[in-house]
Amino acid sequence: MESAARPGLNVIGMRTLLAKEVRRFLRVPGQTVLSPLVSTILYFLVFGYSLGGRVHQVAGIPYISFIVPGLVFLGMANNSFLNTSSSLFITKIQGTVVDLLAAPLGPAEILFGFIGGGMVRGLTVGLLTWAAAALFTGFKLTHALPTLGFLIVVTYVFSVLGFLAALWAEKFEQINFFPTFVMLPLTFLGGIFYSVSSLPEPWHTVSLFNPMVYMVEGLRYGMLGASSLSPAVGGTILVVVALVATGVAFAALRTGYKLKS
Amino acid sequence: MGDTVLEVRDLVKRFGSLIALDGVNLDIHAGEIFALLGPNGAGKTTLISTVCGLARKTSGTLKLFGIDLDVDPVTPRYQVGLVPQEINFDPFFTVAESLYIQLGFYGKRKDPARVTEVLAALSLESKAGSLTRALSGGMKRRLLIAKALVHRPRLVFLDEPTAGVDVELRRDLWAYVRKLQTAGTTIILTTHYLEEAEELADRVGIINDGKVLLVEEKNALIRRLGEKKLQIRFRSKVTALSEKLRGAGAILAEDGHRMDYVERPGRPSIGEILRLVYAEQLPVEDIETRRARLEDVLLMVLRGRPRLEAPASLDEAIPVAAGALDVAFRDK
Repeated sequence: MESAARPGLNVIGMRTLLAKEVRRFLRVPGQTVLSPLVSTILYFLVFGYSLGGRVHQVAGIPYISFIVPGLVFLGMANNSFLNTSSSLFITKIQGTVVDLLAAPLGPAEILFGFIGGGMVRGLTVGLLTWAAAALFTGFKLTHALPTLGFLIVVTYVFSVLGFLAALWAEKFEQINFFPTFVMLPLTFLGGIFYSVSSLPEPWHTVSLFNPMVYMVEGLRYGMLGASSLSPAVGGTILVVVALVATGVAFAALRTGYKLKS
Repeated sequence: MGDTVLEVRDLVKRFGSLIALDGVNLDIHAGEIFALLGPNGAGKTTLISTVCGLARKTSGTLKLFGIDLDVDPVTPRYQVGLVPQEINFDPFFTVAESLYIQLGFYGKRKDPARVTEVLAALSLESKAGSLTRALSGGMKRRLLIAKALVHRPRLVFLDEPTAGVDVELRRDLWAYVRKLQTAGTTIILTTHYLEEAEELADRVGIINDGKVLLVEEKNALIRRLGEKKLQIRFRSKVTALSEKLRGAGAILAEDGHRMDYVERPGRPSIGEILRLVYAEQLPVEDIETRRARLEDVLLMVLRGRPRLEAPASLDEAIPVAAGALDVAFRDK
């Protein structure tokens, strides 16, 4: 058996938590992967084919292809958020949070273990959505590196947000507050089904305050090579959002906010 | 006793206006079994939670294995195991998986031999592949113990470890705890079964209202504060006891068919009383003695009852007013 008593990052502990989080959602794949995949594909079919029949093209791209990055984003955002939020919240409710708090796991190990699990689930759903869409539209990847960057940042940000929501929530009703009243409006108003550049003022300017817009446009740039916003600006904004969210989560874990009595 | 593995200094924990721990000081030595006793809400679990990182202290110092937890709250925890009072389980995983996860959390790699050993010790080997939600209450409690021990901690906190566990298994667990101690593990135990503390503990701490009232070696404590009770039944009615017996604290029942005596420090021994009874040729039919139990000591300390002063020997016997304990005993 490996000797454990050593200072520094508990790498095995963090990896174990990450693996546990991944195994947890894979134990119920119908609920955690298949169900969101079906929902997103339905969006694709309904919006893509019904609206696509009338809109035809946006920014020179067939409408059915135009909505693919947004739908990939939608699947990733929802599932990254849901994985961390539901897992941590259930851990709190069931009392198994004791196992984490009593173990030699610092804020970094706990945070990145949970975030890793959320990112894996988000990326799994997002990539499967992309693959399913490719069956209808053909596979297109214009800028590989920016696409990868946005895939990672999107899943990371929503995993951290899910973690923060679960830290804060004390009731099931509260854990549903963010997906229903914050994420859903912001994602649907985030340019998944339309280009924000086509919006009249002041809605165009208002849209620029919605971070989801940059995520969708960033992915659209990477996958389709077309974007109404600068991917560099969008990427910078998202990295700042990710850093701030990480800092807040880190501070919360350090102080034991709503975890320790 | 060995080195100090846990040092608690002036520990205070407040929940709003409630003071759950009120300046607790405690040293736990390597290799001992320490029983922390007290009524519900006394602060036992709060103390354990604060040491184990489940609760934030308000003030004071905590050192585990000489490391101040304010300076390094993580490293000492590699050597600590906790059996929490509340049963918890992750329904997504099997019993064996839960132990592998626990090993990983403590920085150790998968060790099937160790997992098998711990499962066997806790009579759970046949459930290794079962989902935790399929276990009975007693099995879930045993799984908690297995999780606390699988990484071979040097210090184990057992917070009500045998609540809901049947008598036979409880005895097995006690044997296992003693085996752990033999292997050098330090154990801090809270329990409502005082028999458990009496059976296992080397030292006892009594806590109430967040204050540690007493810390002492168990046997010395029982000898010091414990009472031994003597009850003699008479064949025929005895009208009165001699001056010497009354002076020593013996009490004759109203019907004259029973005499009660409580031996405690400073009083004549039961042997001396018996010699006197036979010397006076009282009509003894039956004699019953009951040795001091930890439960009696705990109640005495918690009730803050005064220790009754009495003559050290029969020769010095003087009449002593019956105290509260004597009255309580006579009324039984």
